[in-house]
Amino acid sequence: MTRLAVSLHRYGVQVAILLVVLVVLTTTSTQFRGPSAAFSTLEGFGLLGIVALGVAVTMIAGELDLSAASMTTLGSVVAVRASDLGLVPAILAAVAVCLLIGLVHGLVIARTGINSLVLTIGSLVLLQGVAWVASGEGPIVVTNYAVSDQVLLRWWILSPSSVIALVVFAGVGVFLAKTRNGREIYAIGGGRKESLAAGVPLARPLTTAFAISGACAGLAGALAAMRSGSATPDAFETLLLTGVAAALIGGIALSGGSGTVLNVAIGVAVLSLITAGFSAQGAATYVVQLWTGVVLIATIAIRLVLDLVRTTRTKTGDTT
Amino acid sequence: MSDVDFAPPAQSTPPAAEPARRSLGSRIVSVGPLPAALLLLVLVGTATTSGFATVDNIRAILTAASITGIVAVCMTFLTLSGNFVSLGVQQNTVLAAILFLSLTAAGAPLVLAVGGPLVVLVVIAVVQGVVVARGMNTVITTLAVGAILFGAMSSVTGGQVITTGGRSVGVLGQSLLFGVPVVVYGLVVVTAVAWLIATRTSLGRRCLLLGASRPTAVLSGVSITRTTVFAFVVLAVGATIAGVLTAAQLGQATANDLSTLTIDVVAAVLVGGTAMAGGSGSPVRSAAGALLIALLNNLMVLNGFTTGWRLAVQGALVVVVVLAVQRFSRAAR
Repeated sequence: MTRLAVSLHRYGVQVAILLVVLVVLTTTSTQFRGPSAAFSTLEGFGLLGIVALGVAVTMIAGELDLSAASMTTLGSVVAVRASDLGLVPAILAAVAVCLLIGLVHGLVIARTGINSLVLTIGSLVLLQGVAWVASGEGPIVVTNYAVSDQVLLRWWILSPSSVIALVVFAGVGVFLAKTRNGREIYAIGGGRKESLAAGVPLARPLTTAFAISGACAGLAGALAAMRSGSATPDAFETLLLTGVAAALIGGIALSGGSGTVLNVAIGVAVLSLITAGFSAQGAATYVVQLWTGVVLIATIAIRLVLDLVRTTRTKTGDTT
Repeated sequence: MSDVDFAPPAQSTPPAAEPARRSLGSRIVSVGPLPAALLLLVLVGTATTSGFATVDNIRAILTAASITGIVAVCMTFLTLSGNFVSLGVQQNTVLAAILFLSLTAAGAPLVLAVGGPLVVLVVIAVVQGVVVARGMNTVITTLAVGAILFGAMSSVTGGQVITTGGRSVGVLGQSLLFGVPVVVYGLVVVTAVAWLIATRTSLGRRCLLLGASRPTAVLSGVSITRTTVFAFVVLAVGATIAGVLTAAQLGQATANDLSTLTIDVVAAVLVGGTAMAGGSGSPVRSAAGALLIALLNNLMVLNGFTTGWRLAVQGALVVVVVLAVQRFSRAAR
């Protein structure tokens, strides 16, 4: 296949979905135009984007981190608790705590061979509990607003959190594509038995993937907490669905081994557009949830049909 | 215990050849801890907690265990067949509750009021079953369908409380029947039927074979689509029963109801010891798991544990049990 064909195969359907959503939203809503629309869409990258990126890395490794939303909540609580130390230490504390939990996830999965869904569904509940306890069973607020106000700057369509998100996307993208450890994550996702036989150590890429997922969730939670100056232990309930959905809509396969950060970015853009577009019209959050579900199911359906077409073509000997 | 396990039954294998295969640890894990943990909790509760061993409190525990238990028992088939768990059970159950109440309020006879939601849920289940059998992940599919159902229910009801409109729902609405909460009968019947399906019918055995080894199942002529759809339909039936019973008992429902149901059901199935990778476990275990979670939650509430600590303990319990099941089921192979 030529370079163009490869890109078309990787991003074609996803870009088409993105364009459809963009056209529908801008034509149906007069408020959703211009820099303010671009700004609110990019803001989505600060929370949803970073979480989806982390989850996507575990998906590329052939696993799935279901605890990401709980970890985000925990990250926001930790950041608010540590906010007296200043902005950067607060964010670093949240990232460190969640990175550690991610490391433990990865190590346990590598050592015991347990299915990551099974383990992280347990820690999803456990970490929710920890977030409740750490927040003192209710919403907490930042005591020194001078700390959190630093996040509320705006440069045209960018903000500190969307800039951080874009930097993280670029960083993870380079890491996955160019480093040995990053390639190992693709290897254990694409063909675990083959890569083990070829001498790839399972523990290293697995722990790396889950540590990235944890760190991303912690960072997203900390940024969200600093933006609002508060944290709530039952926040981000819908983030598990939207995070995984963004990765899937973007074209990351659950079977592992395929997809790039660009796929995640497209998926996040689709869902951010939907969220920002409906909020501009003043719709309730359940409407956003409803459409997230619909777009996800539609994406899955399109892929199933395309796969079917492709396999029938191969069977009939038509190799175009 | 009435476990279904794909290993040959113990009595049919020569004892001399077998002991090395099933280690003591795996045997303890497969039978011992669940009844022992239940007994231990009851003993500890009676000894340390005033107000635990009262008739009212025991009824409260059983009622709490029943709704979770009914769904958990019916979800076991999905887990057994290697399809993990559904993360959309809350929305399905609430949908059944809302449909039941709306139909009752519109004057439909009981058969129709129960049959209506059943048909709707079964249709949704068949669609999900087909999609999952085509290779889509169960967790993601059910999460997406759950979000759509929640969005649709919230849009239609506008966040309003749905009631029966003052109409009677007969025996379903009574809290007690012969001194026992009505929902408990539901759990007992559902568990018995599910156990019979799992052990005595070919569909039940096919779920187990599909979970134990997909290639073997396909080679033996088991249809992945049909078996997966069957597992989803059983779950739909369970969600309908649970939804109708909840609605009839409370007389009202909103789209936000039963917010902890999904987590509780997943915890019950996993704590019961049904392996999430499929192939071993039993509906009876899930019922026992639901009882264990209800007992534990009740004890923690009576002892003044906060929401956070209750969640943390429940989550830690799930993590410990799945790790133990993983460790000893691997050791047994």
